[in-house]
Formats: sequence, C-alpha cells, structure tokens
Amino acid sequence: MLLFKDLMWFFKQEKKGYILGIIVLVLVALLNLLPPYVVRVIVDEVSRGALRSESLLYWTLILAGIGLAVYALRFSWRLMIFGAASRLSRLLRKQLFDHFTLMSPQFYQKHRTGDLMAHATNDIQAVEMTAGMGVLTFVDSITTGGLVVLSMAVFISWKLTLIALLPMPLMAWSTSRYGTMLHNRFHHAQAAFSDLNNKVLENINGMRVVKAFGEEEAELEAFRGLSEDVAAKNLAVAKVDALFDPTIQLIIGLSFFLALIFGSIDVIHGKLTFGQLTQFTIYLGQFIWPMLAFGWLFNILERGRASYDRIEKLLKIKQTIKEKEEALSRFNNGDVIYKGASFTYPGGNTPILQTINVRVEQGQTLGIVGKTGSGKTTFLRLLPREFDLNQGDLQIGSTSIYDVTLESLRSKIGYVPQDSFLFSTTIAENIALGKPEASLEEIHQAAEIADIHADVLSFPEGYGTLVGDRGVTLSGGQKQRISIARALLLEPEILILDDSLSAVDAKTEKKILESLGKMRVQKTTFISSHRLSAVEEADLIIVLKDGQITEEGSHRELMALKGWYAATYRRQQLESLLAEGAEH
Amino acid sequence: MVIRRLLNYLIPHKKALTWASFILILATFADVIGPVLVKVFLDQHLVPRSFDRGALIILASSYLGLNILSAILHYYQLVSFNEIALKIVRQLRIDVFSHVQNLEFKVFDNTPAGALISRITNDTEAIKELFVGVLAAFVQNMVFMLGVFVAMFYLDVRLACFCLILLPMIIILMISYRKVSTKVYRRLRQELSHLNAKLNESVQGMNIIQALRQEKRFRREFQTISNNYYREEMVNIRLEGLFVRPAVDLIYTLALVMVLNYFGFQSLTGPIEIGVLYAFINYLERFFEPVNMMMERLTQFQQSFVAAERVFELLDDRRIAPKGSSVDSPGISQGEIEFNDVSFSYDGDKGAKVLKSISFTAYPGQTVALVGHTGSGKSTVANLLMGFYPVTQGEIFIDGVSLSRHSHQELRSKVGLVAQDPFLFAGTISSNIALSRSEITEKEVQEAVSFVQAEDFIGRLPQGLQEPMGERGTTLSSGQRQLICFARTMAGNPKILVLDEATASVDTETEEAIQKALRKMRQGRTTIAIAHRLSTIQDADLILVLHHGKIVERGTHAELLAQEGLYYKMFMLQHGSKEKE
Repeated sequence: MLLFKDLMWFFKQEKKGYILGIIVLVLVALLNLLPPYVVRVIVDEVSRGALRSESLLYWTLILAGIGLAVYALRFSWRLMIFGAASRLSRLLRKQLFDHFTLMSPQFYQKHRTGDLMAHATNDIQAVEMTAGMGVLTFVDSITTGGLVVLSMAVFISWKLTLIALLPMPLMAWSTSRYGTMLHNRFHHAQAAFSDLNNKVLENINGMRVVKAFGEEEAELEAFRGLSEDVAAKNLAVAKVDALFDPTIQLIIGLSFFLALIFGSIDVIHGKLTFGQLTQFTIYLGQFIWPMLAFGWLFNILERGRASYDRIEKLLKIKQTIKEKEEALSRFNNGDVIYKGASFTYPGGNTPILQTINVRVEQGQTLGIVGKTGSGKTTFLRLLPREFDLNQGDLQIGSTSIYDVTLESLRSKIGYVPQDSFLFSTTIAENIALGKPEASLEEIHQAAEIADIHADVLSFPEGYGTLVGDRGVTLSGGQKQRISIARALLLEPEILILDDSLSAVDAKTEKKILESLGKMRVQKTTFISSHRLSAVEEADLIIVLKDGQITEEGSHRELMALKGWYAATYRRQQLESLLAEGAEH
Repeated sequence: MVIRRLLNYLIPHKKALTWASFILILATFADVIGPVLVKVFLDQHLVPRSFDRGALIILASSYLGLNILSAILHYYQLVSFNEIALKIVRQLRIDVFSHVQNLEFKVFDNTPAGALISRITNDTEAIKELFVGVLAAFVQNMVFMLGVFVAMFYLDVRLACFCLILLPMIIILMISYRKVSTKVYRRLRQELSHLNAKLNESVQGMNIIQALRQEKRFRREFQTISNNYYREEMVNIRLEGLFVRPAVDLIYTLALVMVLNYFGFQSLTGPIEIGVLYAFINYLERFFEPVNMMMERLTQFQQSFVAAERVFELLDDRRIAPKGSSVDSPGISQGEIEFNDVSFSYDGDKGAKVLKSISFTAYPGQTVALVGHTGSGKSTVANLLMGFYPVTQGEIFIDGVSLSRHSHQELRSKVGLVAQDPFLFAGTISSNIALSRSEITEKEVQEAVSFVQAEDFIGRLPQGLQEPMGERGTTLSSGQRQLICFARTMAGNPKILVLDEATASVDTETEEAIQKALRKMRQGRTTIAIAHRLSTIQDADLILVLHHGKIVERGTHAELLAQEGLYYKMFMLQHGSKEKE
C-alpha cells in the first residue's frame, strides 16, 4: 500500500482520470447488483404463477439496458485508469531518458546498458501495472466485495451471509500458504533453468574443445540431465500451482452448499423466497473474484514497489559534470594548456594521469602516443569534460574550461572517440549528427576530407543508405571515417582524434591527415595513435607511460632521443615493410 | 505446418494423454452434475416441501462428495497435462541441443552464440507456454463448455438449443478479436522495439550525443517514439475494452435475458421447474469464465508460434558435420601426416581461398611448425587436420590413409588438440582433464598432471584435483588454465599433437613451465605447431612460413635464417624488439 502513497504525486496529476475512473468502477459495481435482483423478482413471480408479460418485458429491457450500460462503463474506466497508467509509464520513460542525457561516462561505466534498458522497460512496466491493474484491483475488490456482502446481508439475510462466508477465510489461508510454497519451488525452477542456460552457453563457447575431444555425446548426456532437472523442478511448481483452482473450487462449493442448506431452511420457514435464494447464490458467485483479486493485489504491489525503488534510485543519482552558476557562455579560443593535470577514476586508486603539463598553441597539432593503458584516451577525454580533473587546471585561451558552460566548451570541440559509434539512421544523418541543419553539400565536403565520399557513393542509396541491422554493414575503417566526417562538419576550433584511424590503412591515413592539414589552418588538433606514422607530422609529440610524460618533442627530436618512441617507430617501419615485402 | 510438427510431439504421450483426458472428462462430469443435484433438490423436495430424510442425506452427501471428487480429479488432470507439456518441452530441448552438437563448424562461425543459446533455452521455454496453455487451458475449457452444454440438453432440450447460439457469438467475437488484435499487437510490438532500439542506441552513444550537444534533440526524438508507443498502447486498451471482458460479460447478460424470457413465457402458459431455471443460471455463470481465459491467452499463443518457427528452422538446418567413415577404419599407429595440394575456402567454392595448394609431410615423431601473420592460414591447417571442416580440394593423409576414411572415434583419440584459448568446463580440475573418457583412470589423470608439471600449483589448491572450476570455482591464471588443458590432451596419450599456441601473455614463471611442458609433450609425437613466437619452435624439424594462404618459405630454423627472407625478417623483428624492452 505504501507504493500508492509514493505514487500520490502522479495520482494527483491525473486526478480527473482516476477520480472519474473510480466513480465509474463503483457505478459498475452498483449496477452489477441489479441483475441478481431482477432474477429474484422474476423467479418469485414465476413461482407464485404471477408473472405477467408486461412485467417480463419491463425487466428484460432493464436487464438489457444494464448490460449495455455496464459494457460502456467498463470500456470507459479501462480507458481512464489504464490510460492514466500508460501515461505514467510514458512520464517515467521521459524522466529516465532525460536523466540519462545528463549522466557522464562515469555513470555509464558503472551501469551496464542491459541493466539500464531493464529499468527503462521492465521496471516501468511493473509500475504501470501497479498504477493500472493495481488500482483497479484495489478499488474493485473493495467496492464489489463490500457491496456484494452488504447486499447479501442487508437485502437478503445477514445470518445466511455469515454462514455462506464461513469457509472464505480458509480460502485466504490456503492460497497464501500455497503462495509461499510456490515461491520456494519457483525459485528452484528458476535456478535449474539458469543452470541449463549456463550449460548451453558453455557448450556453444567451448564447441572447439567439445568437437576436438569428441565430447558431443557426453555433453548431450549432461544436457539431458539438466533438462530433466528443469522439467522435474517445473513439475514441482505445477504440483503446487495445480492446487489453487481445485481448492478454490472446493471452498466455493462448500460455501454454496451451506447457502443452499441454510437458505432452504429459511425458505421452508417462509423467511426467504425462492427468488431471494437464487439471488443470493448469484451474489455469492460475484464474490469469488474480489477474494481472488485481493490475494493477487499484494503480488502486483510487491513487484511494483521493488521496481519503483530501482527507478527512484537511478533518478536520484546526481549529475557529476556540472556547470558553475556564473559559468561564461562565451570565451575566446587560444592555446590549450594542461596545468599540473592529475586524474584518478572515481573509486580507483591508481592515478591515470599525474601532473601533466602541456601547452598546445592555437593552430598546432599535438600527437599523443604510448602503450595501451598509458593514459592517452583519458588525456583527451578531459578536454570536452567527459571527466573532471582531480587536481590542476585545463585552460583554453587562458580561460579555465571549468568556468564556462558545457555548451560553449563542447561547441568548440570536435571529438572523434576511439570506438566509432554510428546510429541506425542514414549515413547523411550520421554525419550531420552534430548539425542536423547541414546542407547536403556540407556533408559531402566533410565526407570528402574524411575520404569516405567515394565509399558512400558506392552504396545502393548513397547518403540515404541506412546503417546497421536494417542497412549496410560497414567495415571498421568506414565507421571511423564517418565519425571523422561527423566531427569535421562542425569545423571545430579543436579537433580530437582518439586513435580514430586505427582501422584505416596507412595510405588512407596519410591522405586524410594531409587534407586535414590543408583545411585546418589556425585550428588546433589532438591526435592519439598506436601507429606512430599518424603523429609524425605533429608540431609536438608527447609519449605517455603510466600517466606521465616520458618523452616530449617533435618527431625528429624524439628519434634523436633513441627512447621508446624511436624504437617503436623503427619496429613499426619494419613491420609495414614485412607486410608489403611478402607480396613479391 | 508448425502446428503439425508440434502435434507430432504429442504422439509418444498418447497413453498419458488419453488417461489425462479421461480424468478431465470425469472431473468435468462431476462439475456439471452439481447444479443438476441442486435442481433435483429444489424441484422434488423444496418446492413440493417433501423432505424425505434418507433422500436428502443421499443428495447432500453426493453433492459434497462430487465436489471433493471433482477437486481431486481436477488436481490430477492439471498435474498430468502439465507433466505431458513439460516432457514434450524437455524432448524438444534435447532434440535441438543434440542437433546443434552435430552441426558443422561453419554454423558456429556464422551464427552469433546468443542466437543459438536463445533457440535452445528461451524459445523452447516459450513453446512450453504454448503446450501448458493449450493442454491445460484450452482443452480443459473446451471440455468444460461441452459438459455444460450436455447438462443443459439433459435439463431442457429446447432452451439448450437456444443457448447454442451463444457459441457462434463467442466464436465470432474470438475470431474478430484475434484478427484485429494481431495487427494492433504487431504494431505495439513494433513500437516497443523502436523504443528499445532508440533507448539502447542512445545509452550506448551517449558520449557522442553529449560531445555534439544533441541531448535536447535526442530527448525530443525519444519523446516522439515514446508517444507513438503510448498511442498504440491506448489502441490496445480500447481494443481489449471492446472485445475482451466487457464484451464477454455483455454476452452473459444477454444470455441471462434469454433464459429468463424463456422461462417467463413458459410460465405464462403452464407451470415450470424452478430448479431447472436455477441450474441454467448457474451454468451460465460458470460458462463464461473459461471464455475470458481463452480470449486472454490468444495473443500469447502468437508469440509462442513465432518461437516454435525459429526452433524448427534451426532443427531443419542440414549443415551436419562430417562423421567420418565407420567401416573398415584403419587405426593410426605411426602418426604420419601428409597434406597433398590442399586448398580451402570457408565460404565454399566462391569464397576467398584461405589456403592455396598446401603440401607438406610430417614424419612420425617430427615437429612441423607453421608461422606467419594473423590471417595467413595457420589456424586453418589445424582446423582441417582436426576435421572441423571438410577438405574440399586436395587431400590430407594420416598414415597414408585419407582423413575422410578414418573414423571419427580414431581421430578424436589419436589426434590431440591444444586450443589457443584454454577452455575449462564447469566441474573439477580432474573432470576437466578426464572429460567423458571412461578409459582414463584417476591414476592417469595424476600422471598427466605430473607430466605437464602442473602438480605444484594444483597441490597448493585447497581441494587439489577436486577443486571446482568455472564460474563459481577458483579462478586460475591463464597460464595455469593452459597447463590443465595440456594435461587434458596428454591424458588421452595421442599419437599426433596439434598445438595452437596461446597468444595471451602469462607471467614468466608459468611461461617457462609451459615451454618445458610443450617440449616434453612433443617428444615421440608427430606435432603440428602453430607458433606466434618464433623462439618456441627453433628446434622444429620443418618450419613452414605461410603468407596469404601459401607456403612461401620452408626449411629448418638455420636454413631459413640463411635464406634471409621473410622468416629472417620476422626473426630479426622479434629479436630486436625483445632486446629493447
């Protein structure tokens, strides 16, 4: 019930729908009391032989009228209450999505996509269920149940009502008992199913070993055992599950039996008419559903509660990358300066970057190289504020990037991340992601510089070709080049290429870098790469190792240094030689 | 077609099915007879006020007795039908799993593992819902409805005939609901999958969206899709409101009107039996609950059918792995391997050739090493020798007999693979080494462990050889796993070894143990070694340098160095970079 309190804000917001819906529900419950009464009247008149055709017609019309009215009313409360619940889930979806757009990469490192998806779909569905089915069941079981009992007691006989309802607590008791039994067995069944799942997973992943050692038969045997276990555990569930219906049936049968026996005694003593007895049994039939529903309600509420808590918890996570209140919305471009920049991932204990000092003059190109895990990507991700420094400062044109709005900072930066992510729309829309209003010409131009134009034209629908499952499958290199075009379209003051040419061959890489150099006059570029040829032409190259700069200078200076850079460069030269050399 | 195949799975359970149906009919009979007894009580005792004690006791006790009997019978039929459904699904699962075991390797290359797993587990689970639903709900409800009609005919033929018009009404309602709901439901699912896709892709690409300051646009777009989904949901709510419970209840009220009128008009002309009226009203009430249940299950069935279709599609995949011949299979005693002009492509005749005219011979006890860049075809040589893929061009001989003429059994026991990825099954170390090979004794496991010198670290584990592995077990380092895999291969005492060297780097100590073990393993066995590091195969009898599927150089380590070709360059490269580090 607490959940209803938590959801009060929403019920208030939708109060028209809910109040009206609940009124209609009560109305339906009231109208439903009438047909048994009509039956009683007719039965009584028939048994007294006093029925006239006019009165039959009269009651027929009333009954048909009630039927149609109830039909219309039931339809409308569904629309009101279920509709409101559906709006609640739409609202929660919006809240979650909006919240997601405010979350930094740190959040996405902690929460896996699959989990976030589950919250946004399954959990919201469970809350929707509470706000719809839950409210309905709650209101309906109370009004229908209450009204039916009231009518039985007031209009027919309170003594008979009491007697007839005598077995009902037994029903509540046994169903709740079965419920706990079911819960345990269901848990075992789920565990067995998960074992089965793991076995299949292991089998498919280890297929080479399975085949190499001729283990197929043994695997099948193991699987057979597990699926037998699943079947057995499920049967154990079914054995309890199958208790529900017969038990309910038995108890209701008992209730009817008691009503008939004691009702008949009343009839004999003239305290009750035939019609009233018939009416009573129909009411009794109407009482079954609220009894069942009430047990079910707790189930719905329990699930809704857990789901709503999870959603709330997610929504309460605070934004980590924030703007200062007096943040500037405009600032001038200039040199990019890392001032004693240190960074450790939240919760981590090894620093990723340690007091880095670098100055990149406006219009220059900085190359960042180093082994995997040396801190290259982190170095770059600090600039568009995907993460914030723990110590030191980062400045553009002598303005700290923490003193300006995210909008103004990011509008200066074109960032091409390591793993190029494309959305499942057209290629044109993917390139124009950051500038949806871009003309086709602009898009073509950007694609040309990124050396993807010709590739795109070779696709069946050119720039209108869809990417992803429903469209073409692009190679890693093509994806990277589209990502580059996406950044170039913005003509950013600062371009960041985070190892974003790794899947492109050396020749194409050279071509792209050359056109970049020609086009980006007076604009700053950051390039990180495993392949040193990509940074050869850079004005300044830094070598990172364990978050520190170990070598620094131009290509020529670094070669003369004969350190890691020089050794790696020579090895890579030899390697490319080897790949080509064997062709002859 | 799908239905037919699903029904075929019922055949082995004919007897159980007949028995369950029999109990179901009995139970229904007991159900239906209750109101008849009440009718007898009303018409023969209460109305004429004739209270014969004996008759009343019989009536009352048979009413209660029937009630209890019906409950027991219902319990048994519910359990029986569920049991049959569960057995069928179990069989279906085993069939799919067994089929997947026999598929050739290509299928695993082309199908994502997730898809195969989901066929075997989730889709069959959806089919379970179908069987449980159909057997437990549809069949029962139909039998019950039939029973109600039989009882009605017994009570009053004419009124029962009138009531028959309920059937076409309900059937029409069901058919039209199914027809409309299929479309609406499909649109709803479609919008849901749009919603999920958008959400998934936005979450995955959030850093790009933020970097390009497109948060507002994506919020807007998501809102639009969310609105579309909401709209479809409302259509669905309306549809269910029009067709399901409210409509069924309306039909119930109309039926009530009909019954009342029938009796009412009859009473105008002559006396009627009140008890019959009571029984009819009671029947009507019970008649409509099953209808509601069936209506609600309709859409669920559609999903199950789609799942069944997918399962059968996989079962129909005829790409079965070659079995090898079983008759007159010669044994492998020497372990001589010959590749004779072997060419191969993974995509049949049209695909790019991964191997081009490979010929070489490995004499008994020799080590032949394959080196080359990634994608040069090294691993394919191993794949063909293991029989994972059928040789299409050229031929491979073992002991002078074509690979295809050796039995599967013989190949598996005489050719031992050490795969690149040290794969361990859930189980103990011991069970990982012995596998299902019953001929391998505990002692031999022990010997294999000491042979690869893994006893040290295994001895240090709390439970030694019985230490559980896998998800819930101890996690071993990659090198330690490697050693266990060695022991697994050596336990079978193979004549031929296929070593696919691991690329994963391990600590120096374990690396030394691995190299030592490998040298020992190769002694006295013909070995095909796929090497990533040249240092490990310098003592090989023959080194083949592969490039783009061709053998470009061949000879011993010394000979190849003297050639100053590709091997020489590779050697210098690895040597040089090693010195630097």
